[in-house]
Amino acid sequence: MILKIKNKDKKSDNKYIALGLDKKKYEFLFKADNTVAVNKKKSDIRIEEDDDGFTYVVWESRRVPVELVEKNQNRYEVLVNGISYKFSIESPISYKRKKFLDKTQIQSKTESIIAPMPGKIIDVLVEPNTHVSQGEAILILEAMKMQNEILSTVTGKIKSINIRKDDNVMKDDVLIEIEK
Amino acid sequence: MDIEGKYFKDFLARGEKQKNHRSEKTAEKQHSKGKLTAWERIELLFDEGTFEEIDKFVTSASVDFGKADKILGDGVITGHGKISGRLAFVFSQDFTIMGGSLGSVHAAKIAKIQDMALKTGAPLIGLIDSGGARIQEGVQSLAGYSGIFFRNVKSSGVIPQISVIMGPAAGGAVYSPALTDFVFMTDKTSYMFVTGPNVVKEVLNEDVSFEELGGASIHGKKSGVSHFVYDDEENTIKGVRRLLSYIPSNNMEHPPFIDTFDVEGRFEEKLRDVVPDDPNKPYDVKDVIRLIVDNGRYMEVSEGFAQNIFIGFARLAGKTIGIIANQPKVLAGTLDINASMKAARFIRFCDAYNIPLLVLEDVPGFLPGINQEHGGLIKHGAKLLYAFCEAVVPRVTVILRKSYGGAYCVMNSKNIGGDFNFAWPTAEIAVMGPEGAVAILYKKELDEAEDKAKLKKDLAQKYRNEIANPYVAEDKGYIDEVIDPAVTRTKLISAFQALENKHVYVPDRRHGNIPL
Amino acid sequence: MEKKIIKKLLIANRGEIAIRIIETAKKLGIETYVIKTAKEPSALYLKHADVICDFTQNTNELPEFLDVELIIKTAKEHKVDAIHPGYGFLAENPYFAQCCDDEGIIFIGPSADAIYKMGNKTIAKQLAIKHKVPLLEGSSGNVPSPKEALKIAEKIGYPVIIKAASGGGGRGMRIVEDASQVEKMFHLASNEAAKAFDDSSVFIEKYVRNPRHIEFQILGDKHGNIIHLGERECSIQRKHQKLIEESPSVALSEELRKIMGEQAINIAKSVKYCSVGTVEFLLDDDMNFYFMEMNTRIQVEHPVTETITGIDLIEQQIKMAQGDKLSIKQEDVQLNGWAIEYRINAEDVQANFSPFLGTIQHISFPKGKNVRVDTGVEDGSVITPYYDSMVAKLIVSGETREKAIANSLVAINKVKIKGVKTTIPFCKAVIENKDFQLGNLNTSFIDKKMDGIFNEDPDEKLMAAFFATMDYIKDEQMDEAAYVDFEKGRNITPWLIKRRIK
Repeated sequence: MILKIKNKDKKSDNKYIALGLDKKKYEFLFKADNTVAVNKKKSDIRIEEDDDGFTYVVWESRRVPVELVEKNQNRYEVLVNGISYKFSIESPISYKRKKFLDKTQIQSKTESIIAPMPGKIIDVLVEPNTHVSQGEAILILEAMKMQNEILSTVTGKIKSINIRKDDNVMKDDVLIEIEK
Repeated sequence: MDIEGKYFKDFLARGEKQKNHRSEKTAEKQHSKGKLTAWERIELLFDEGTFEEIDKFVTSASVDFGKADKILGDGVITGHGKISGRLAFVFSQDFTIMGGSLGSVHAAKIAKIQDMALKTGAPLIGLIDSGGARIQEGVQSLAGYSGIFFRNVKSSGVIPQISVIMGPAAGGAVYSPALTDFVFMTDKTSYMFVTGPNVVKEVLNEDVSFEELGGASIHGKKSGVSHFVYDDEENTIKGVRRLLSYIPSNNMEHPPFIDTFDVEGRFEEKLRDVVPDDPNKPYDVKDVIRLIVDNGRYMEVSEGFAQNIFIGFARLAGKTIGIIANQPKVLAGTLDINASMKAARFIRFCDAYNIPLLVLEDVPGFLPGINQEHGGLIKHGAKLLYAFCEAVVPRVTVILRKSYGGAYCVMNSKNIGGDFNFAWPTAEIAVMGPEGAVAILYKKELDEAEDKAKLKKDLAQKYRNEIANPYVAEDKGYIDEVIDPAVTRTKLISAFQALENKHVYVPDRRHGNIPL
Repeated sequence: MEKKIIKKLLIANRGEIAIRIIETAKKLGIETYVIKTAKEPSALYLKHADVICDFTQNTNELPEFLDVELIIKTAKEHKVDAIHPGYGFLAENPYFAQCCDDEGIIFIGPSADAIYKMGNKTIAKQLAIKHKVPLLEGSSGNVPSPKEALKIAEKIGYPVIIKAASGGGGRGMRIVEDASQVEKMFHLASNEAAKAFDDSSVFIEKYVRNPRHIEFQILGDKHGNIIHLGERECSIQRKHQKLIEESPSVALSEELRKIMGEQAINIAKSVKYCSVGTVEFLLDDDMNFYFMEMNTRIQVEHPVTETITGIDLIEQQIKMAQGDKLSIKQEDVQLNGWAIEYRINAEDVQANFSPFLGTIQHISFPKGKNVRVDTGVEDGSVITPYYDSMVAKLIVSGETREKAIANSLVAINKVKIKGVKTTIPFCKAVIENKDFQLGNLNTSFIDKKMDGIFNEDPDEKLMAAFFATMDYIKDEQMDEAAYVDFEKGRNITPWLIKRRIK
């Protein structure tokens, strides 16, 4: 016996929303008649590949090479002409939820500096209660045999330092918290 | 029966009553919190039109909670349906009824479904969105919880149990998810903690938010309580469906087969280049996994927690395998307390449900340090060793690069019951790394040498060439075959096929005594 | 002076400069030797050379291209006539030049003495003073203490800059805005200098805000003839790393070019310079120029000078080294058109130019008469953490600066690289920048004149969004449309079932 898994009804329209990090939204409506509407406008948009292994998106007389950098669940990072763009792909329901959560999330007063990659703390350049300004180096993380300066993303006061010199950290660990 | 007659009219009227509650107005309440309703979640979970509800009309046992009209169902929807065509049981707590709190009737409904799932050998999924025990019902709710825990444990290792946290789960309520096989959480709207922020404030005078204390990202990355964290409820439920496509319905079945249309004899030249020539250079083991498994697709478990070890499900020639792989990218792939515990539990799940194990090994050893030793690395590392030794499912190891000392033994070596052990030509198998070994073996020579560093490097190279290579192990039969990385997939498929009917005699016992 | 014809040349360098040197060597009929390291055993430059010297079994702690003894030993083994150090590594190491000389091997570059004198900033300054070359006011020699530093700073007026005596690349430098900062900055600079160069000595000089970086290409022979080949402007810098260079500079009038060129030659003459070299100046808004330092090697940005003068600098460098007499006179040097060089580095501009390691899956460059590409990579090359992150240099020319810029945009849009992120988006943002187009450059251009270090193209973003969405849908369909074959799952043989259920 072979059973078919639940399938989206092919005959109906399917809407997807790609949400950029800057909250800019791109709406793609895949119609039952196989046409695509981009931001509610019917468009001729498609993906092509060439023999060299480059993938292109073709849209309104433009053809740009695209490259998938990373994907995880519904989060994507796509590279176009050397600039990477991050999106989360949403359904109309999940988009509504996201918009709602953004509105109601209490603006946190503390900013967490998280480890961008796993590695070892080489040096902590700040102490609790010192003031830092945006873009200031606050610690040095060694990863892939290279020392990376981790910069403060905000201007504020160091609230807590969760790591010490020579600690090993995982990706996304909270390293330092800054009070805005 | 006369459909105009009294019997049928009464019947229809009862149905209307229930619909009153599941209205758009009620749904709006949930939506305004960024959540879906209990019944919307069920709709997403099951194949269209397959869900059958039971115990629709039971009402709360509590008499004095103030409202004359009792709401039907007592805050939980229970029933069964099909997921990808396969039977599964579900209970879905309804936060819009008394905050989804657990009263005796509510508990009895869940218990009934748990019993049914166990009887029929089908997975049980709990969609949890509840304020906790119903205070009005006192000890009755506590008894209800206990009954649920008891059944959780009774079903453990017999049917897969999945908990999906989609709202709060506080106090005793957290222990049911903790007892189940997999915990899913939705980011920003689900919380789990034994004591809430208010109590923390009272007792310890520490300010902590719900999110910081027990949010999805905490449990996904720090505590490891949650195995899967998704951005929203739709994707969370999709994740549950995806997980079920890898695992069998009970401990007697084989995992489901899916025709992936991937070529079995795929020759992957890229695998020859994934492991860097420099033995100290990190790489991402997920790149190796992608090139080996069907269509490059896998489902990672506990992605954010103890990232120095990878665990997850994938398919080889359509059949599910469980993968345990050291991650050289993080902490050089060393084993620490968290990694040992994470992998051990996964191995035991796979062993319970007939899922063959694939180990991709590149481990320089256990993580040294005071924190680790004082934290009980011996005890926790032993869990991993125990889990491997105990597993009776087919077990295949591929040594990609480093395999040193105790970590060699632990990571599914031949003598703890690994069925096939393969190695890539880049493998280094030895009691310790070349630098360490040379320092002991040639201590005298090194002390006397003029250019110590150079001699050490030369000797380490010699050690690598003569001792720490896979051919010594192959000659002695500890490695079944040293293979070309490009044919790893082919080798693994035929190895697992050969092991399909593997059976190991296990002596009678109540249960082993795993070092907990 | 004795003259020895070079027939065999060892190149003690890697990457694009090794290939660049091989190119000219081939033209001159010289056999080329390169060094193969374990860090890059399949690098592109190896494929261009005639002979490969295998260093892959080398177990020295010292990096191969810095290992003077090993390189000299190899040169002798292969009986090469000369060693070309390229840039970086041993190019400005007087000890290495001296070793070559002692062993009778021609070092392609100036004398060890010239390297030493110009390498030590304090000596270089003293030479400049002696030859009346304008200089930023500052301490005469190293400053021993913060107290001394304060005294000097008060004398020359703020802002001042504290610099490491043997520094470079922006390390060991601190700008001091007022008296209160002197002590702190002094310690920071000298600590950093001690760490980076094993030499904590520092000096102080007047700090010029937003100057232009103008450098003159010098060419001298062993017979005392020295000429200049015009200037390059390298004002587009980030943390003192040059990113875009051009020749000539919009800032220089013919008159100023003549004056600065003469001063550059004066500096070179002070050390009897006999190779290609570069004299760097700062130029302020009032067209005052100050001597900074002299680089005693071939520069990364030498192609822009080659493009507009038509002179092969590597060829000249080799000829001067073997003792040829300079055949070009100052009045023969003509600057024709405009050339701009863009450094394409494997760096993530979205992450503050952090190096981006990885494998270049595909790479292709535009071709044309206005475009020159110097590169050391090909498909499959690996960007390693051991060396600099340069992928290629794109040199675009035109009759005028406007045309060169217009050509640049066309050319850079045709560069295709897959696998690593590069500084191309940054280069594009510069090309599209109004101030760049108008020639309003200075060394703080990136901080002050650019809104962002890269430009997002809204259309490209939309197309990226579409690609991501399509991939997501593909995945979703794979999840949902897969057929589950339960019979196969349930297919347990009697052998197994009997043993499983005892």
